[in-house]
Amino acid sequence: MSQELIKVTVNGQDYQVAKGARLIDVCREKGHSVPSFCYYADLALQASCRMCLVRIEKMPKLQTSCTITCTDGMIATTESAEIEKARRGMVEFLLANHPLDCPVCDRGGECELQEMVFDWGGLEERFTEKKNAYPEKFLSPIVANDPQRCILCKRCTRVCDEWMGEDAIEAGGRGANTVIGTYDGWLNCSQCGNCIEVCPTGTLLDATYRHQARPWELSQTVTTCTFCSDGCQMSLGSRAGEVMRSVARDRYVDGINGEFLCIKGRFAHPFINHEERIKTPMIRYKKGGRLVPATWDEALHYVTEGFEAARSAYGGEGFGVVGSSRITNEANHALLRFAREVIKTDNYTATDAFSLAPFFKNLGAPIATHKDIRNAKTIVLIGGEPEELQPLTGRYIRQAVRNGGAQLVIFNNTPIRLKEQAAQFIHINAGTEDAVVFALSTGGDADLAARKLGVEASALADARKLIEETAGDIVLLFGGELSGAAQAVLAQLPAAFGAREGRRFLFHPLPIYNNSVGVQDIGLMNGRLDAGAMLAACGESVHALYVAGSFLPQHLAGREDALAKLDFLVVQELFETETTKHADVVLPAASFAETDGTFTNNAGQVQRVRQSIPPVHQSRPDWMITDMIARARGTEFDYQLSASRVFQDIARNVAAYEGMRYPALKDESNPVQAKHAIASGADVTSQMQTLRRKVESLIETNDKAQATPPVGHELFKPGTLTKRTPQFLLLDAGNPKPPTVLISPLYQLTVDPNLRRATVNATGD
Amino acid sequence: MSSQFTPNNPLPQEAPTPREMAVFSAEVEAEIDAHLAKYPKERSRSAILPLMFIVQRERGWLDPAGVAYLADRLRLRITDIWEVATFYSMLNTKPVGQYHVQVCRTLSCKIMGAATITEHCSKKLGIKVGETSDDGKFSLSEVECLGSCGTAPMLQLGFDYHENLTPEKVDALLDQCSRDEYEFKVKVS
Amino acid sequence: MFIGAIGCEPLQLRRVHLEGSHTLDVYRRNGGYEAIKKVLDGLSPDDVIAEIKKSALRGRGGAGFPTGMKWSFVPKDSPKPKYVVCNADESEPGTFKDRYLMERDPHALIEGMLIAAYALGARVNYIYTRGEYRYLINIMDAALDEARAAGLLGEKILGSNFSCDIYTHTGAGAYICGEETALLNSLEGLRGHPRMKPPFPAVSGLYACPTVVNNVETLTAVPDIIKMGGEAWQKLGTEKSGGTKVWSVSGHVARPGVYELPMGYSDMEKFIMEDCQGIANGRQLKAVIPGGSSVYIMPARDIVGKSVKMDYEGLVAGGSMVGSGGFIVMDETVDIFESTMNLTEFYKHESCGWCTPCREGTDWLVKVFKRIARGEGQPDDAQLLLDLCDNIEGKSFCPLGDAAAWPIQSAIKKFPEDFRKHLVGIAERATVGTTSSPVAAREGAATEALPTV
Ligand SMILES: Cc1cc2nc3c(=O)[nH]c(=O)nc-3n(C[C@H](O)[C@H](O)[C@H](O)COP(=O)(O)O)c2cc1C
Ligand code: SF4
Ligand code: FES
Repeated sequence: MSQELIKVTVNGQDYQVAKGARLIDVCREKGHSVPSFCYYADLALQASCRMCLVRIEKMPKLQTSCTITCTDGMIATTESAEIEKARRGMVEFLLANHPLDCPVCDRGGECELQEMVFDWGGLEERFTEKKNAYPEKFLSPIVANDPQRCILCKRCTRVCDEWMGEDAIEAGGRGANTVIGTYDGWLNCSQCGNCIEVCPTGTLLDATYRHQARPWELSQTVTTCTFCSDGCQMSLGSRAGEVMRSVARDRYVDGINGEFLCIKGRFAHPFINHEERIKTPMIRYKKGGRLVPATWDEALHYVTEGFEAARSAYGGEGFGVVGSSRITNEANHALLRFAREVIKTDNYTATDAFSLAPFFKNLGAPIATHKDIRNAKTIVLIGGEPEELQPLTGRYIRQAVRNGGAQLVIFNNTPIRLKEQAAQFIHINAGTEDAVVFALSTGGDADLAARKLGVEASALADARKLIEETAGDIVLLFGGELSGAAQAVLAQLPAAFGAREGRRFLFHPLPIYNNSVGVQDIGLMNGRLDAGAMLAACGESVHALYVAGSFLPQHLAGREDALAKLDFLVVQELFETETTKHADVVLPAASFAETDGTFTNNAGQVQRVRQSIPPVHQSRPDWMITDMIARARGTEFDYQLSASRVFQDIARNVAAYEGMRYPALKDESNPVQAKHAIASGADVTSQMQTLRRKVESLIETNDKAQATPPVGHELFKPGTLTKRTPQFLLLDAGNPKPPTVLISPLYQLTVDPNLRRATVNATGD
Repeated sequence: MSSQFTPNNPLPQEAPTPREMAVFSAEVEAEIDAHLAKYPKERSRSAILPLMFIVQRERGWLDPAGVAYLADRLRLRITDIWEVATFYSMLNTKPVGQYHVQVCRTLSCKIMGAATITEHCSKKLGIKVGETSDDGKFSLSEVECLGSCGTAPMLQLGFDYHENLTPEKVDALLDQCSRDEYEFKVKVS
Repeated sequence: MFIGAIGCEPLQLRRVHLEGSHTLDVYRRNGGYEAIKKVLDGLSPDDVIAEIKKSALRGRGGAGFPTGMKWSFVPKDSPKPKYVVCNADESEPGTFKDRYLMERDPHALIEGMLIAAYALGARVNYIYTRGEYRYLINIMDAALDEARAAGLLGEKILGSNFSCDIYTHTGAGAYICGEETALLNSLEGLRGHPRMKPPFPAVSGLYACPTVVNNVETLTAVPDIIKMGGEAWQKLGTEKSGGTKVWSVSGHVARPGVYELPMGYSDMEKFIMEDCQGIANGRQLKAVIPGGSSVYIMPARDIVGKSVKMDYEGLVAGGSMVGSGGFIVMDETVDIFESTMNLTEFYKHESCGWCTPCREGTDWLVKVFKRIARGEGQPDDAQLLLDLCDNIEGKSFCPLGDAAAWPIQSAIKKFPEDFRKHLVGIAERATVGTTSSPVAAREGAATEALPTV
C-alpha cells in the first residue's frame, strides 16, 4: 500500500512523514526527544500528564504532541525556553506530592520520574508544604500499592481495560484526591500484573519481589516464557543464581508482547529455585522401593544397563521415548534422535494436550503472527479461550476489535469474556465445534450443522458472509476441541472460499503449551503411538520408557497403573510427579531459566530461550542428559556440549527451520517465523467425509454453558509449576480479602489444599 | 473509563464483592425503569447518577448492597460504580445524617457571612464540619457555590434551599429538625 | 432580591413575575410556543440557523461562542442520531440566572430546545441540571409532562412531521460537569472528566454522535429570536453581542438580584451605583468580579469613571470578561487575599484531577494560601503563586486550569497591598524579639516580589 507523505518541520529540519502520523512519534523517531508519562502506544489517548508540550506555529498555546496528528506543512518546535519552563513546571507539579525518598522506593533505579529528574538536573525544590500521604498497602496477594507515588498517568487503568478487558482497577476520587484503586480496596482480576509493568513510578509494585533486590543488582536475561504457546518475551532478573523476578519492561526486552505478560509469565517463576526441585539423580533399586539419591555416574550407568536389558529382551519395539511440549526444541530433537538412532524404534511421541499434525499437514494459508491478529479485519475464533490459555492472543484480539475496528466472530459453548468484543457470538452446544468447520466449508450442510450446533442457520450464513466479504486479513483461530478431520478441513478453508482481491486468510492455532508447535515441527509427535496409546501399551508391547517431562493428567486418567507395569522407566523432570512415582531412575532436569534453546510459539516463531542462572543443584539441560545417555550407550551426536550445535542439527533436518541459526534469532524484536509448508489444494475429501459422519452422529442436545466463567478460572489452576508460587494458591482459593490490607495476605491467610479455601491464620504469623 | 472504546457494552457480571444485593419495592423498580427508558437501550450506564440518587434516597447512602444492586441493574462492574460514586460530591460512600446541613462557603456567601452560619451550626449541633452527630441525625458539611449568591448566606438541608440566613433563622430550622418536625420540601424522583 | 430588566423591556424575564409563570397555560397565554409554531409552519432548519446567526447570539454559558455558528457545525448528512443538550449545570460561583429562568419560565427552555432540535434534526434531547438544583429538575419534569400531554413533545408535534422528546438528567455535584465535554461524559454515566477536543461535540459528542451543548439562557433566547427575527433581536444589543443578557448580581450591593440588561449597557458604574442601588451599608466599592469567579477581578478604580460597557467587547476592554455574567460586588471590608484564597479552594475542590497542572497546581496553591493565612508566609510567596499560575495557565487539559489561575494573577496584580499586608505582617511577627533587621529585609523583598500597579 502506498503511503501518502507530507512535510513536517521539527526544530527547523524538514521531514517527509506518513500522513496521519502522530507528532510525538515523529519527533522521537527523528531524534527530537519529547518527554511523556501518559502517552503509551496503542492505548487510548490521555493527554493528561502535559509533559509532551511543544510549540506549533499558528496555534495558540503550547500543544500536547501526543494528541497532534501531523498535517502538511506543520512547523513544530520541541526545544525552547518556553517549552523547557513548561515541562519543568509539570515535573515540579508531579513531584510536589510525590515522596522524594527514592532510596526506599522499590522502583528506585528504574523509575521514569526519577530518571527524568536526574537527566534534567537543576531542579530546585520549592514545594515546602506538607505532602498528601496515603499508606502503602496490598491490592491483592500479588499487587502492592503505594498511592502517594502515583502521577495519575493511568497507564494501569488503560491496560487493565484495553488489553485485559477487565476494568478491575480504576481511578476513584477527584482532583488532588484522585487515587487508583478498586471498590473495596481489593483487586479481583486475572492478576496479570501489567498494571505494575506499565507503571512509570513505584505506585504499583510486584508484591512477590518487593524489597527483595535492587534492579542494578540483577542480571537481566532476555528469554521466552515457559508457560503458554504465545511465547512472550521476558527478562528474567537474577542475582547469585536465583531468579528474582520476571518482567517485560521495555528497557530490558522488546518482544511480540511489548510490556505484556500474564500472571504465569510474570509471577510463576518461583518454581525455578524452589526447594522441592529434584536436586540429584535418584535411583529406585527395587520396584516399590524408595528413590535413593545417586551420582550422575551411578545414574547413567544404571540407566544404560536398564536400557540395554530392555532392548535385548524386547528389541526397539518394546521401547518408548516420550518428549514434551514444554521443553526446548533442542531437547525434543535429541530425544527423537535417541529414539531413532540409539533405540531404533518408532515408538516416540510427546505429551501434549492435543496434536496439530492434521492441521499442519494440510495447511492452506500462512500462520498469523500476533501482529497480524492486531491488524486483522475479521477474526474467527472456534472453541478455545485465549484469554485464559493464550492471554497474549486474547489481548491482541481485543485490541484488534477496539482499536482496529476488526469484526470478531466467536463460536463457543461458553459465553467467554471475549464475547464482549464480538460482533457475532454464536453460542453452540458443547462438543459440536466440528460442526462449525463443517458448516463453513464447501460441501457442508449448514442446516444440519445448525441443528447440531443448536443455532440459527442464519447466524452461520452471517458468519460466512462476513468472511466472504472481508477486504483484508481474516485470521482463523481454533482450540483443541477440533477433531483431526475438522483440523484438516479447516486448514483447507481458504481454498473452499476461493481467492478474492484484497482478502488474505491466516491461521492461528491455539495449542496449550509453550512448545506445542515446536514439538510438532521437530517430528516427535509423528511416531507410531501417541501419548495415550503409549500408556495403553505399557506392559503389553512397551516395556521400557524414557520420558522427559511428565504425562498429563488426561493421559493418565483411567490408566493410573500403566507406568507400574513397565520393566524400566527413566524420567527427567523438575519436580516429582505422578510420572516419577514409578520411575526406576529420576534425573534432575534444568528448567527453561537454566538452559539455552528455542521454543516455537503458536505463531510459528522460533524464539530463543537463554540461560539466566546456572542449572540448580545437579540438574542438566534435557538435551544434554539425552546426549549423555546416548554417549554412554556408544552413540555420538556430536553436540559438543553446545545447544547451538543441537539447533544447527535441527536446522539441517527440519525443513521449516532450514537455514536458521542462533545469531539470526537473537533479536527478540524481530522474531523469525518457521517456514511451514503451505499445501494449497491438498485433498481433504476423505477428511470431509469423516467430518460429515462425525457431525451426523452428534446428538442434538441443548447443552450450552450459560455463565461466563470468572477471570482466572484456568490461569489460577495450580499446576506442577504454578503451585510453587504460594500466591497462586490464595488466588485459586478465591482471592479472599485478608483482615488487613497493610500486611501481605500470605501472612494472614492459609490455604487448606484439600478444601481449597483460605482461612485467617490463627496466630497471625 | 474510556468512552472512546467502551460504549457501555453490556458486560458479563463478575460476582460483585458485596455478597448482599439491595431489594426494592415494585414502585421503586418502576421508577428506575422510567429513568432507564430515557436513554438508548445499550447506554443504560447513562442512568447511573439518577439511579444512585434513588438508592441513596432508599438506603441513606451508597451502601455495599446498594452498590451491588447498581452494578447488577446497569450490568457494570463494581469498580465502575466506585469510580463514579467517588467523583461526585453529592454521592455518599459513607453514611450521612438524616438531616444533612450543607452550608455554602464560596465567595458570595463568604462575604455575606457564611462563616458565621457554619460556626453557628457547628456549635448548635456539637459537631465539626465533615462530622455526623453520634445519634446519626445531623451531618454538617461545607459545600461550594449552590447558586444562591443573590440570597446569601444560605444552606441546603437535604435538597431544600434555605436562604438569606441569620443565626436566628438557623436556630429555628435546626430546632424543627431536632423535634423531627421538619418536612423536606424537595424530593428525589 | 430583585428580578427584572433595566434599560430595556424585559424579554427573558418577561413572565417571571406572573402568577403560575411555570405553567403551560400562563406561558401560552403570554406568547409561548408561538415560535415553534412559526418554525413548524414554514421555516426550514437552515432558515432557523440563519436567523440565529443574524441575531448575533453568543453562548451564555461562559465562552461566548456564536450560537448560530455552533449549530451550523453539526454535519447534516451524518446518519447518526443528533442530540441537543441543555447545560443547566450552573456552578460558576456568583451565577444563578439559569436557576430563576428554569424556576419561573421552564416552558421557554422547552420551546428553545424544541427549536434547536428542529434545526439540528435531533430526536432525543437532555437537560443536564446540577444535582443540587433538584427542585428545578422536578419543576422541569412537571413542565415536560405538561408539554407532552399537550402534544408539544413526542410524536408529530403540533400535527407536523417533527417528533422530538426532551428528558431531564441530574448531575451529582461537580463544577467541572459544566464544561461541555465533561458534561457529556457525565451524561454517559462516566466520571466527569473533560474530553479531548477535537473532535468537538458538534461532530462527536453524546454517544459519539453530533451534539450541540447550549446554556439555559442561550436556549431561552431562541424563541424570541425566532418571533422577532434575528435582526431585530440583535439590535437590542450591539453588533457583535446581540440581544439582552441576564446578569446574576451578588455581594455587597444594596439590591442583589437577576438583572436583564441590553448588551452594551453603559455603564458598569451606573449599574452598580444606581440600578443595584449602590453598596450596602454606605460602604465603598472595592472590587467587582463581573463574569463569575473565573474572570479577572476589577478594582473600583477601573470601574468608577471608566464607562465600562457591559458586553463582550466592553468588558475585555475594561480588563475582564462577561463569562457567565456572575457579577460579584465587594466592598472595602473584603480582603482580596482572602477572597482569592476562597476561590482557589473552590478550584482545588472542583479540579477533576485529570491533568497534572490543574490537579497538583491547585493543591499546591491552596497550601501556599493556607500557609500564608496561618501566618507563615514568605516574602517571595506572591512570586511563587504567580509562577505556579503561569505553569498552569495555558497548559491544562481544559479551561478550568486557566480559570483557577486568572483570579490569582489579576488579584495580585490589582491588589498587591492586600497580599503584601499578609506577607509583611508575618515577617514582623516572625521576628518579634530579635533586634536584627530581617524585618526590613523581608519587607523589602516582599515589596519587590510584588508587581507594582
Ligand atoms: C470549567 C467550566 C465550567 C463550565 N460551567 C458551565 C456551566 O455551569 N454552565 C454552562 O452553561 N456552561 C458552562 N461552561 C461552558 C461550557 O463548556 C460550554 O461552553 C457551554 O455550555 C456552551 O453553551 P453556550 O454556547 O450556550 O454558552 C463551563 C466551562 C468550563 C470550562
Ligand atoms: S484543567 Fe485538567 S484537572 Fe483541571 S478540570 Fe480540566 S482536565 Fe480536570
Ligand atoms: S504524553 Fe502528552 S499529555 Fe501526557
